[in-house]
Amino acid sequence: MINQITLPKAFYSNKLERLWLLAKIEFKLRYYENNLGLLWALLKPLMDVAIYYIVFKTILKTDLEAFASYLFVGLILWNFFLESTAGTIQILQTKKYLYEYSNMNKLEIYISTLLSNSIGFFFNLVMFILFFNFVEADSYGLSALNLWIIPIFINLFILSLGLSFILSSIYIFAKDITQIWQVFTSGLFFLSPIFYKFSLFTEALPNFEYINPVAGIIINARNVLMYQQLPNMELFIFDFGYAFFVLFLGLIMLNKLGAKAAEKL
Amino acid sequence: MEKEIAIKARNISKTFHISEDSHNTVKHRLFNLFNPPRSREVPALKSLSLEIKKGECIGLLGRNGSGKSTLVKLLAGVYPTDSGYVNIKGSTMLMNLGVGMSHELTARENIYVSGSVLGLKIKEVDALFDKIVSFAELEEFIDTKIKFFSSGMVARLGFSIAVNAGADVMFLDEIFAVGDAKFQEKAVKVFESSWIEGRTVILVSHSMETIRQYCHRAAYMKKGELKYFGDTGTAIDMYLADNQ
Repeated sequence: MINQITLPKAFYSNKLERLWLLAKIEFKLRYYENNLGLLWALLKPLMDVAIYYIVFKTILKTDLEAFASYLFVGLILWNFFLESTAGTIQILQTKKYLYEYSNMNKLEIYISTLLSNSIGFFFNLVMFILFFNFVEADSYGLSALNLWIIPIFINLFILSLGLSFILSSIYIFAKDITQIWQVFTSGLFFLSPIFYKFSLFTEALPNFEYINPVAGIIINARNVLMYQQLPNMELFIFDFGYAFFVLFLGLIMLNKLGAKAAEKL
Repeated sequence: MEKEIAIKARNISKTFHISEDSHNTVKHRLFNLFNPPRSREVPALKSLSLEIKKGECIGLLGRNGSGKSTLVKLLAGVYPTDSGYVNIKGSTMLMNLGVGMSHELTARENIYVSGSVLGLKIKEVDALFDKIVSFAELEEFIDTKIKFFSSGMVARLGFSIAVNAGADVMFLDEIFAVGDAKFQEKAVKVFESSWIEGRTVILVSHSMETIRQYCHRAAYMKKGELKYFGDTGTAIDMYLADNQ
């Protein structure tokens, strides 16, 4: 399968080829290993949406319009965030074979894993667009504003990458960061406007979207994907700053602590 | 004739801190804030400098625990040094028994990943692919995950990738213990062929024969110190004297 790849001309540098190769293998490992294969990647967000829909629409009677789509956007972004942070805490251990015997840059390992997650996100996004346009009743339809999802996703990518650096560096010295992060993210999940109204969120926790960067990203993604609006620029720029700050912090930690990975893990 | 320098190490040293109880969790660290872990310091490598020129084959000798493997890992950039610096030109590859490969991947995937990590383009790996597989004698198991391989098969695959893909600077740590007699013969033959030309090779081995035959210079290490670096014969004599 792998030797049949034909790459576009732009990919002539070995580094880009390698990132793409590693991302593809990672993606294949995750999805082709189980019986449902790629179908599983597509089914998972749909099943998540179905569960939350039953709980909040059928049982709790949420009055949000286009609630399934509302959930869909929140969940696919959240899942990417979770996979790229909680899912990569042990990356320096599982991918040890890549850096232990050569002078390969560790950054490439992280980027390729997140790229693999991005492939999954892309499939989910396509699913969402199909769902929103053909199934959802209260849909506004497609618009050029949808393209804003690209910078918003890049923002999430940078944020997750930075957090991944930080968490996996801590993991070298404190293994229970896995459990700590698990508790932290389950809190963050409920503090992000994924399945309730944004207005309820701001009423209860004013300005919290500036503390929780995932909240801002989800809010803006909904603006551009569902409501045909521009992103909230203030929040958009703030979240980019937030992400770059986390990335910067992560790079420092990876340089300081990550260098010891080969001997400590 | 002045040759280009491939590896330059200045005053590098390495000490391992081995703690007796594992302070490996946040909880444990918090509860023992005022009771820091007792750690033992193991000086694996005392201050050491060396220069290796491009295209040289260097033998590394010493008894177990003399710091050979640590030195190799420091030079290859796998471990950070405590002091000093290492300068290396080109890509490096460190080889010992069955390494640099993921057991979750198939032989095919491992060949592509390793090849790519060593700096080859996908097309170049395509071209080398059959050669790597046939050298490793693994034609029937290309699409088998290597976790189902025997240790000999894994080692053969690793050796074959190293020989055929190769990096500019190769660190070979006890690789001749790989495979059966027939494969070993083949492995040693690689050194006789032109493969070694133009590459910088650092060979760790307990086989005096191999080192005497192929190494231009040799280093002899004892207890983390570089005792001698120069003529191969002298280094071997010192090593043999130490073994008495």
